[in-house]
Amino acid sequence: MTNKYYEFFCPVKVIAGKAALEHIPYELTGMAAKRPMIVTDKGVRAAGLLEPVIAACEESGLEITSIYDDVPPDSSTTVVRDIAGIYRQEKCDSIIAVGGGSAIDTGKAVNILVSEGGDDIAKYSGAGVLKHPLKPFFVVPTTAGTGSEVTSVAVITDEAKGVKLPFTSSFLLPNAAIIDPRMTLTLPPHITAATAMDAMTHATEAFTCMAKNPLSDAYATSAIKKISHSLLHVMDNPKDSDGRLELAQASTMAGIAFSNSMVGLVHALGHATGAICHLPHGLCMSLYLPYVLEYNLETIREPLGELLLYLEGPEVFAATPAGRRAEASISAIRKLRDALYKRCQLPRTLKETGKVTEDQLDHIAEMALDDGSIMFNPKEVTLEDARAVLRRAWA
Amino acid sequence: MLAKRIQPMVFQARRLYVELMFQVMGRALQAVSEVDEKVQNEARALPDGFLFEMMVMPDGSKLIVEHTGQGRFRYHGDKAPRPVDLSIQFKHIAHAFLVLSFQEKTSVAFANDRMLVDGDISYAVRMTRVLNRLESFILPKLIAERAVKEYPADLHLPEKLISAARIYLKVATNFVETVRA
Repeated sequence: MTNKYYEFFCPVKVIAGKAALEHIPYELTGMAAKRPMIVTDKGVRAAGLLEPVIAACEESGLEITSIYDDVPPDSSTTVVRDIAGIYRQEKCDSIIAVGGGSAIDTGKAVNILVSEGGDDIAKYSGAGVLKHPLKPFFVVPTTAGTGSEVTSVAVITDEAKGVKLPFTSSFLLPNAAIIDPRMTLTLPPHITAATAMDAMTHATEAFTCMAKNPLSDAYATSAIKKISHSLLHVMDNPKDSDGRLELAQASTMAGIAFSNSMVGLVHALGHATGAICHLPHGLCMSLYLPYVLEYNLETIREPLGELLLYLEGPEVFAATPAGRRAEASISAIRKLRDALYKRCQLPRTLKETGKVTEDQLDHIAEMALDDGSIMFNPKEVTLEDARAVLRRAWA
Repeated sequence: MLAKRIQPMVFQARRLYVELMFQVMGRALQAVSEVDEKVQNEARALPDGFLFEMMVMPDGSKLIVEHTGQGRFRYHGDKAPRPVDLSIQFKHIAHAFLVLSFQEKTSVAFANDRMLVDGDISYAVRMTRVLNRLESFILPKLIAERAVKEYPADLHLPEKLISAARIYLKVATNFVETVRA
């Protein structure tokens, strides 16, 4: 008997498509929630993305009780405590996070405090600390990349101690994720590209790393197919709401995939680069993906070869000899990156970012080696290996 | 019928095996930190007094080692002098047995959700590297290849034999000292 074993869990109700936002009042009412609080950031508000959410609720007679729109890009324990204070003061009974990764993580952390009590979010840091379901929590993503709407993790910075606190619990998963194409229609080209490549990396690593399983594979391949089909089309036609919906759905599907099968070296390097050089996460993912796939190649030849079908379609897949499909998959990803560079100068090498110096590579390699994602990389990574990948990604 | 009668004995044997392996591993961790420079370099990044625990949930066998500084570990048996800083917990003794009998690699056990990490994940990654290094030394290559993700290419037979002999000698000495005490 094989030792193969896996777990798969995703209880998030996905509400996706045209007029999806208008389902929020019904869903809230179904959970006996009458006083929702919106957690978002200034950028989302300035882009006018709150209006359709508020209008959808008000039209159904549901007042938004409170709006907190000052979530910073790296949310902190202080911000979480402040928002929880407002939530209690205003007697809210549910949370709607509208935004990208930071707003969603903040919403998750606020939900811990307002459900479990207290002001010290650090007390709930770690895995499996939460033992009870939390308050009704909905997520409306405004980028198509992080997949945070379907992950059971939140990361909040403890400013006093200067550390990032991870929170992991299935109770952090929102009750519903609302995927409405209106929320991503105004995303600028470079963010559209970087976030879509973030989703592409989630799906590719989910499909090629150690914890891959049949269910996450299904989500990962569908996500890759959607991104390959729609990304360049959306870059050329940013107002195409069908294409935007495809990318948003792909992001959610990739999120479901990687939250059940984890990620690998691309993320380990990306997390370290983000921490040291302050580069956006999606950009790091796009940058490192082909170099890490080349490094892992002999360990992942078979699954990577299978991905050619979803990256390039059946004709190219059929015309490529089985033994060359893995390399062809990497070429397809490189081709996509070149096309994105042409359209919005999304960097393909560390040098092209203009924000990384060559003497930082050693530090990035050392930090990446201690990143949790590296455990799930199919090939063992030594410090020298990480340095070699970084040198290849340099220029 | 016979299977039913044998089952409690099998469970007992499995429990004893896991307990014994934890005792060997704990002592071997202390020994390898006295023998191998790479392990010492890995351990140096841990805070002095850092307590690491490996255990079977909910309250089964466990091993506890402390980083005493300079990259050295001290084995504390199954009693921690204070709350541990990092705990790697097998969800069931059957999962611990799979890993400790080298039927499942540690990395695969993580990927298969057989184990939980309670504590700083970066320290867990580091301790996993230390455990891999230890297993590469003390197990025959054929078995070590089943236990670690990738057998280190730079670990050649003479170094392996000498280090393994030193580690086993220290483990045996420690066992004798424990019995005498």
